[in-house]
Amino acid sequence: MQEIVTALANGSIYALMALAIGIIYSTTQIINFAHGSVIMIGAMTSYWLLSIFHMNYFTAILLAVLINIILSMVIYKVSVEKLGDLTQNSSWIVTLFGAGIILDNTARILFGTEPKAYPFLFDGHVISIFGTKIMIHEMMMILVAVIIGVLYQIVIQKTNFGRAVRAVSFRPDTARIMGIRSNRIVLMCFAISGAVAAISGALIAPITFASYTMTYSVGIKAFAAALIGGLGNTKGAFIGGISLGLIEGIASMIVPGGLKDAISFLIMIIVIIVLPGGILSAKLFTKGELKTEKI
Amino acid sequence: MLQVENVTIGYGKTEVVHNISFHVKKGEIITILGANGAGKSTILNTIVGLHQAKEGSIRFQDKEISKARPDQLVQNGMRLVPEGRQIFPQHTVMENILLGAYIEKNAKKIHSRLHSIFERFPRLEERKNQMGGTLSGGEQQMLAIARALMTEPSLLILDEPSLGLAPIIVGEVFALLKQISSSGVTVLLVEQMANSALKISDRAYVLETGRIVLEGRGEEIRNNADIAKAYLGNV
Ligand SMILES: Nc1ncnc2c1ncn2[C@@H]1O[C@H](COP(=O)(O)OP(=O)(O)OP(=O)(O)O)[C@@H](O)[C@H]1O
Ligand SMILES: [Mg+2]
Repeated sequence: MQEIVTALANGSIYALMALAIGIIYSTTQIINFAHGSVIMIGAMTSYWLLSIFHMNYFTAILLAVLINIILSMVIYKVSVEKLGDLTQNSSWIVTLFGAGIILDNTARILFGTEPKAYPFLFDGHVISIFGTKIMIHEMMMILVAVIIGVLYQIVIQKTNFGRAVRAVSFRPDTARIMGIRSNRIVLMCFAISGAVAAISGALIAPITFASYTMTYSVGIKAFAAALIGGLGNTKGAFIGGISLGLIEGIASMIVPGGLKDAISFLIMIIVIIVLPGGILSAKLFTKGELKTEKI
Repeated sequence: MLQVENVTIGYGKTEVVHNISFHVKKGEIITILGANGAGKSTILNTIVGLHQAKEGSIRFQDKEISKARPDQLVQNGMRLVPEGRQIFPQHTVMENILLGAYIEKNAKKIHSRLHSIFERFPRLEERKNQMGGTLSGGEQQMLAIARALMTEPSLLILDEPSLGLAPIIVGEVFALLKQISSSGVTVLLVEQMANSALKISDRAYVLETGRIVLEGRGEEIRNNADIAKAYLGNV
């Protein structure tokens, strides 16, 4: 039972990370390869603010979110917008990877190479529910992920901004002749993605330790979850994240610890081979789906 | 209202529109006729700012706009109804119309325009909660036009509005354009269906592989069978 909660909690954070990748992918069709680094920066800056400036948790995360928003907007401006039409070239692969490496190296210099113990929310307090001991932090991980996921869907489905995001995702040029500045919308998506990355980084750091290596140890799971759920599918991101969390949880019970990630990624590869569009692309879920318009 | 002067447009190194000039006066309905690949869409997309001309000047309401962004042009009263309608199939009809009013922040204005749009297109009101992709071709064209009218443009530009529609629906679309025009909107139209378009046009230009080869009053061009055959193939 405890293991399931832990798996769900980790899975919720993977889901948030996948959501952040999906937000950018859906409007630009590009994969933000710097995303792992952005998650790591969220964790490291909030760690710094917590432990060196002795801020409270809330303020520290809020500031980390702001820093990540600015960072992500800079990444967009420098590594993506300058490239022009993204359907015409693939330079973004290099520029985004480059941006990630710059962030990783900077973090290594600023924060050192030593992994830091990141404090749990509520001092790691444990409560007992039906005889199972559950850390409040883990419940918060799930709760925060659910709140962000629901909020995001409401914004996307019900607001002017959300309508524009969907329009840009579907037909960027048509969106532009509606008067929508597609670049602005994409910039906003990078900002949102950065904010979500900061929160997910800060919430997972107590479990993984805060270190500049989070880019790979944690970041890679963001991509795995995004791919399992279907790239750019922001609902699928949750399915992908939770599945990954559960796969990991089960794997760690039956194989030696060192193999856990290998098993998770093996399963990711299988899912991608069998269902290239992610789990939600399975026939079961696509009944009555709308195809394109009539010409 | 719109002056296009010595404009040359291309994609990469290939030039597809060569040094063309034409103009649209306030209140007119102007048609540009041309066969497939003549460069009609290229010209319209350049006017509305989706594409940049290599050379030449485009002026709208006496301002140079060849470097303007699409959103700035929408703000200034220019609207394009693109080729193939390009409605958003997974947005509802209502959402499609609201997207048309994206730059309008005044809720009252949006509301009253919505009201007049639904008066003009009762079919769209009946189907406002349906997905755009479920509409028939004719309804989609109406939606594309309705969406463009949400900012009350002074110049409405349409790229082959008759494309893929049954003759009777084409008739409806052109009647609608005539009606929109008489409500004070200037109309620039691009078509292959010469006959119906010329009937409602004040003037027309004939485009052949990126060059304007003929210009005249709508009636003149329509009645001149030789010209029509020579430049338009089948009419
Ligand atoms: N994005 C593009 N990249 C390269 N070439 C293009 C592009 N769009 C159009 N062209 C070329 O430019 C020429 C003119 O195309 P355009 O779409 O303007 O013609 P059109 O008159 O609108 O034709 P149709 O009646 O088929 O819509 C064609 O030869 C076409 O191949
Ligand atoms: Mg065309």
